[in-house]
Amino acid sequence: MPALRGFLWLVGFLLLGQALVWSLRLPVSPGVVGMLAMTLWLVLRGRVSEDIQVASQSLIAVLAMLIMPGVVGVFFIAEAFAGQWLAVGVALVLGTLLSVTTTLWLMLRFMPKDATDE
Amino acid sequence: MSESLALLREHLLATPMPAIALTLAAFLAGNRLFLRVNRPSGCPAILIAAMLLAASLALLGIDYDDYRAGAGWLMLLLGPATVALGVPLFQQLPRIRALWRPILISLPPAAMLAAFYSVGLAWVLGASPEVLASLAPKSVTAPIAIGITEQLGGVIPLMMGGLLITGVMSTACVGVLARYLAIRDPRVLGFVLGVNGHVIGTVRAFELGPTAGAFASLGMSLTGIFSALFLPLAWRLLGL
Repeated sequence: MPALRGFLWLVGFLLLGQALVWSLRLPVSPGVVGMLAMTLWLVLRGRVSEDIQVASQSLIAVLAMLIMPGVVGVFFIAEAFAGQWLAVGVALVLGTLLSVTTTLWLMLRFMPKDATDE
Repeated sequence: MSESLALLREHLLATPMPAIALTLAAFLAGNRLFLRVNRPSGCPAILIAAMLLAASLALLGIDYDDYRAGAGWLMLLLGPATVALGVPLFQQLPRIRALWRPILISLPPAAMLAAFYSVGLAWVLGASPEVLASLAPKSVTAPIAIGITEQLGGVIPLMMGGLLITGVMSTACVGVLARYLAIRDPRVLGFVLGVNGHVIGTVRAFELGPTAGAFASLGMSLTGIFSALFLPLAWRLLGL
């Protein structure tokens, strides 16, 4: 039952994140606070338990599936934004192209060159 | 006969199970098709899966809102999945710590520009404030982006669609640029994928290897945190 035990840890940290976001009125999502708390806790412990490893690996593997229900909504709102699709399309396609190029340039500019290959 | 079938359909659709089954089936079929056609970098598995899902919803005559209500059960897992990203982050911490300076220098301009290029282009082309607010968090991971969009007054389905296109475009662009410029550093590629392409980019980065995956998780979370703080502020300053 390692996956289930690990899942309980993840949910526990999510609850911690929720509690922190609510009580400190943080403008960040509970998941991110939970993730940072999880990282901090692993740092303090110095290692990842088998349980957490198994649970997190299987969830990360299906991450893309978890956003699908929201993502398909775009196919059903076509009429609502008639006339703006050109703007949206150009903004998304060209905007992403520009931002990828900028980030890549920034990283190459500031990243030390000693790439350690895996 | 057809009447009882209609009743059965109605009975089944009253539970979230059909929505969950359809999502799982579309995801698995999308992945399978993706592998079958030799992993095209311009059309990631998620895009195939999303199109399959949209097509089956349309064919079966299922209302999107009904589907969404059922599939919401699956989206609940997005929370624990975000927490799970802390694990690769921890495992790559020594490598990340060695590079905190370039990361901290690159991140704020990269995250700001990711939003501004798109919002600026859409504004020039005459998009409404509602659309601009939906485009702003396009590089932010879904659970955070939903919060930001609500705060800015955007439309969630439009934002999620933007997320999909941004993710797909980012993986495609990074693939092309990496090949064209002969960049093989997994730290750079992973970080760029995570900052621009959120979850979709991070999934792609994990395909490249654990280092790229960890840097993508890092880029994605930092972009998320930074944008959650920065976008509402920028919106207020711009008076939108």
